Amino acid sequence: MDLRAGDSWGMLACLCTVLWHLPAVPALNRTGDPGPGPSIQKTYDLTRYLEHQLRSLAGTYLNYLGPPFNEPDFNPPRLGAETLPRATVNLEVWRSLNDKLRLTQNYEAYSHLLCYLRGLNRQAATAELRRSLAHFCTSLQGLLGSIAGVMAALGHPLPQPLPGTEPAWAPGPAHSDFLQKMDDFWLLKELQTWLWRSAKDFNRLKKKVQPPAAAVTLHLEAHGF
Amino acid sequence: MWMSKTWLVQAFFIFITTESIGKLLDPCGHISPESPVIQLGSNFTAVCVLKEKCMDNFHVNANYIVWKINHFTVPKEQYAILNRTASSVTFTNITALSVQLTCNILTFGQIEQNVYGITVISGLPPEKPKNLNCIVYEGKKMMCQWDPGRETYLETNFTLKSEWATEKFADCQTKRATPTTCIVDYSPVYFVNIEVWVEAENALGKVSSNHINFDPVDKVKPSPPRNLSVSNSEELSSILKLSWINPNIKSVIRLKYNIQYRIKDASTWNQIPPEDTSTTRSSFTVQDLQPFTEYVFRMRCMKEDGKGFWSDWSEEASGITYEDRPSKAPSFWYKIDPSHTNGYRSVQLIWKTLSPFETNGRILDYEVTLTRWKSRLQNYTVNDTKLTVNLTNDRYIATLTARNLVGKSDPSVLTIPACDFQATRPVMDLKAFPKDNKLWVEWTAPNESVRKYILEWCVLSDKLPCILDWQQEDGTTHRTYLRGNLVESKCYLITVTPVYADGPGRPESIKAYLKQAPPSQGPMVRTKKVGKNEAVLEWDQLPVDVQNGFIRNYTIFYKTIIGNETAVNVDSSHTEYTLSSLTSDTLYMVRMVAYTDEGGKDGPEFTFTTPKFAQGEIEAIVVPVCLAILFTTLLGVLFCFNKRDLIKKHIWPNVPDPSKSHIAQWSPPTPPRHNFNSKDQMYSDGNFTDVSVVEIEPNDKKPLPDDLKSLDLFRKEKSGTEGHSSGIGGSSCMSSSRPSISSGDENESAQNTSSTVQYSTVVHSGYRHQVPSVQVFSRSESTQPLLDSEERPEDLQLIDNVDSGDNILPRQQYFKQNCSQQETSPDISQFERSKPASAVSEEDFVRHRQQQISDMVQSSGSGQLKGFQEVSAADAFGPGVEGQGERFETVGVAAVIDEGMPKSYLPQTVRQGGYVPQ
Repeated sequence: MDLRAGDSWGMLACLCTVLWHLPAVPALNRTGDPGPGPSIQKTYDLTRYLEHQLRSLAGTYLNYLGPPFNEPDFNPPRLGAETLPRATVNLEVWRSLNDKLRLTQNYEAYSHLLCYLRGLNRQAATAELRRSLAHFCTSLQGLLGSIAGVMAALGHPLPQPLPGTEPAWAPGPAHSDFLQKMDDFWLLKELQTWLWRSAKDFNRLKKKVQPPAAAVTLHLEAHGF
Repeated sequence: MWMSKTWLVQAFFIFITTESIGKLLDPCGHISPESPVIQLGSNFTAVCVLKEKCMDNFHVNANYIVWKINHFTVPKEQYAILNRTASSVTFTNITALSVQLTCNILTFGQIEQNVYGITVISGLPPEKPKNLNCIVYEGKKMMCQWDPGRETYLETNFTLKSEWATEKFADCQTKRATPTTCIVDYSPVYFVNIEVWVEAENALGKVSSNHINFDPVDKVKPSPPRNLSVSNSEELSSILKLSWINPNIKSVIRLKYNIQYRIKDASTWNQIPPEDTSTTRSSFTVQDLQPFTEYVFRMRCMKEDGKGFWSDWSEEASGITYEDRPSKAPSFWYKIDPSHTNGYRSVQLIWKTLSPFETNGRILDYEVTLTRWKSRLQNYTVNDTKLTVNLTNDRYIATLTARNLVGKSDPSVLTIPACDFQATRPVMDLKAFPKDNKLWVEWTAPNESVRKYILEWCVLSDKLPCILDWQQEDGTTHRTYLRGNLVESKCYLITVTPVYADGPGRPESIKAYLKQAPPSQGPMVRTKKVGKNEAVLEWDQLPVDVQNGFIRNYTIFYKTIIGNETAVNVDSSHTEYTLSSLTSDTLYMVRMVAYTDEGGKDGPEFTFTTPKFAQGEIEAIVVPVCLAILFTTLLGVLFCFNKRDLIKKHIWPNVPDPSKSHIAQWSPPTPPRHNFNSKDQMYSDGNFTDVSVVEIEPNDKKPLPDDLKSLDLFRKEKSGTEGHSSGIGGSSCMSSSRPSISSGDENESAQNTSSTVQYSTVVHSGYRHQVPSVQVFSRSESTQPLLDSEERPEDLQLIDNVDSGDNILPRQQYFKQNCSQQETSPDISQFERSKPASAVSEEDFVRHRQQQISDMVQSSGSGQLKGFQEVSAADAFGPGVEGQGERFETVGVAAVIDEGMPKSYLPQTVRQGGYVPQ
């Protein structure tokens, strides 16, 4: 339990650090000139990049976990991973989300996932895997910063982490080795789902931010005809 | 004394102890600061503080401190005594990078003892690093580099710092070997901006560069595309398809490409327009390539928006385009063997292989067809590039096609004209000139449309035969260069033949050089003819093999052994030159230089000597001289011959031939033949008693009428003068054979008549139709003056009443009266006067005179007598002056004149030394 408490504090600390550095995010400091468009685009690119990164990382890590986790059709039930933020959501619900809520959900999800991932990193056996995980962690941290930047650009406040809502799930010796692996499996799977969802979110957001210009262009074209 | 010795020993002991085991002992003092690093050019102050114990031991204080820098004592001026134990030293503007500074004390006996030492190091603070830039190699870590600025002379550390807005990354420490680059420890996260800067730090300071903020994905240098492969298409011979595997970063960023290609043997790359390859792809089709050609490809990529860096070039890959039918008809020409054999002629058809970019594949063979008018085709398939056929003398049309795997080329058509075809319509203004190390040929096209031109050329040489090379040009061409291995300084004979639809036109030729050079041999000059002042030089034209260019002109250099060299320029068309104004009898050295456009070369020296005399000069002198002598001799001979009588007379006197003489009449009582008056008769009777007249009848009877005439005249005169004139004078004037008449003059004194005895009168025939002169020989038996003198008394008588000194006048009158018809030129007297008194006999002289005078009588005009008179007068005046000869002459003249009419000669000479009546 001691360890778990430490992990929570670590996660909190890292969240706090992120929050502390938010004002220094360039996107925040240059709200005026290019608007949020470029940073949204960049965030979108980053999610795609992370997706690509995760694909190779997951392959490596699942191989490290060994069978049956590395089998393509392995689809275990979601046991013990209830605390992981769920990316899957009803389409109607997703569509009805506003920008602020959408960004906040992304932000909160990645904050949690990053903390879990750091725990995963510590357990990794091989140096190569650790390096890949560390890089992924760094990248994910970059994504978190990007999202914060976009939120700042759009004028949305960052969600305040509630002291009581620290993630219940964390890898630890409490689980059996298999269950531990199952958690890892689900962590990677959830990450992947979240990256898919984020790509969609930011693509939507991108289109939403860019339309005015596009509409004007269209209008002008129609006029021309 | 003892004390000082003790001190010395003590000092030595201390010295030994401090030197050998000094490290174990406490130093006597220390310098502050301990290990200073100072900026170059700044001031520095060090303080040495002595310990009380030492001061006591050695009995010294701060005043005894001596500073040394690199073992040299520092001047006292730089010291400062702070108190009893401390001394400071100050240095200004330190330039040395590292100095040893020691603090010493001067102990007893002036022995320096080292107390403490430090090393002062100087340098510069770091400059702000500039031009910081980073590059992200795909799949590797990020590397940044910068410009460190000036040299600091101190150990300077550079630290690359990087951070996100939310997180700091680990510092990147430079390695000692590469202080200006650093490779960060982590893989950069794309799409998240990072801030990077570099800090430089040394003992003298710390400075950081400007911060740069970038997205690492904009600094990416991708890996080059892999597995580049090339494939061709059988359908299209002008394309090649490239395919490759993109680098992994393609999944993150979009790429653009550069594709380059070249023909295998070429060195320069062609690039496909970048706009065609500006999007991510993994294959590309290159078009507009040449068939059957091997191409080499390479490519690279970078981020599509141009941010970042180009990847390295991929590995090269090559492929060959597919074959196509030959793109061009081969060059086609023919040669006819000049030897005819019974209606057939041997024709060699020749053609050139196509260049590799025209064959479009491998040429399998050539197809030749020959068509005679209205006869069937003859087909030949040849692998070679020539075909010899026997053709009749008719006109043929030959076609040639080249064949490869894919197809045939267009045909080359050539008309071989009939045997009696007369080629006309040549090209005009054919010119050949070198340019850019090529031999260009230029011409003006004939008016008619030309199908093609054939250029043939060969090296002109006296030693080697003309081996023709040839090439074909399009009918629109009018300028080309010879595509062959041409050699410099060789004469090329270039022939251009236009080829019309009905056969070849008349060829035109020209000579040209790719590059001229001075001749390799000079002309051999020699003399053709050497004269006294000129020499004709001749030489042969240089053989074409040694000319090395067009001989533009010659220069002849000639000189004597001592003289300066003279140069003469001669046109190249000449082979002969005449050197003039040479000195005779001189050795000349002559050499000759032949010039091309590029320079000249002199031939061997030739020497010749001009002769002393010109040819024929001796002859020219000798012959005229001989001729002159001959002529003179001839003239002399002629003269002698002409004057042979005179000479004869001079050498041997003229002796009358006695056999031819006869006494015509001997009549002492001369019967008057004329009608004399009685008085005359009376006189004559009385007078001529003693006179015997010998009449020599000349053969010629002509004088007779003259005689008669003169007789009439005489008679008239006589009647006029009425006895005043002397009969003797008349006779002398007439010089006729009628002395008797005159002698019969009435009024003469007996003395006169009696004293004159006419000895004889000889009348003989003249020599060669000359008027025969009648010579009257008188002999005087008295002492009276002779015949001539006889007249005088009469004259004197006539002029007695006048001045006796002027006695010449009457004679003139006399002459006038008697010889009014006779006129003499003044030349006579002149002649006479100039004539020196000669020793010739009177007879000779008189004869001579007679002749002259007779000549002059005819030529002279009237009125000249006066002059003669004057001259005569002068003559008469000067007997003393002019001599007796003169005197005699005058008399002679008178006699001659008198004699003129009767053409007889009466010598009435006065002997020298004889009495001359005055």
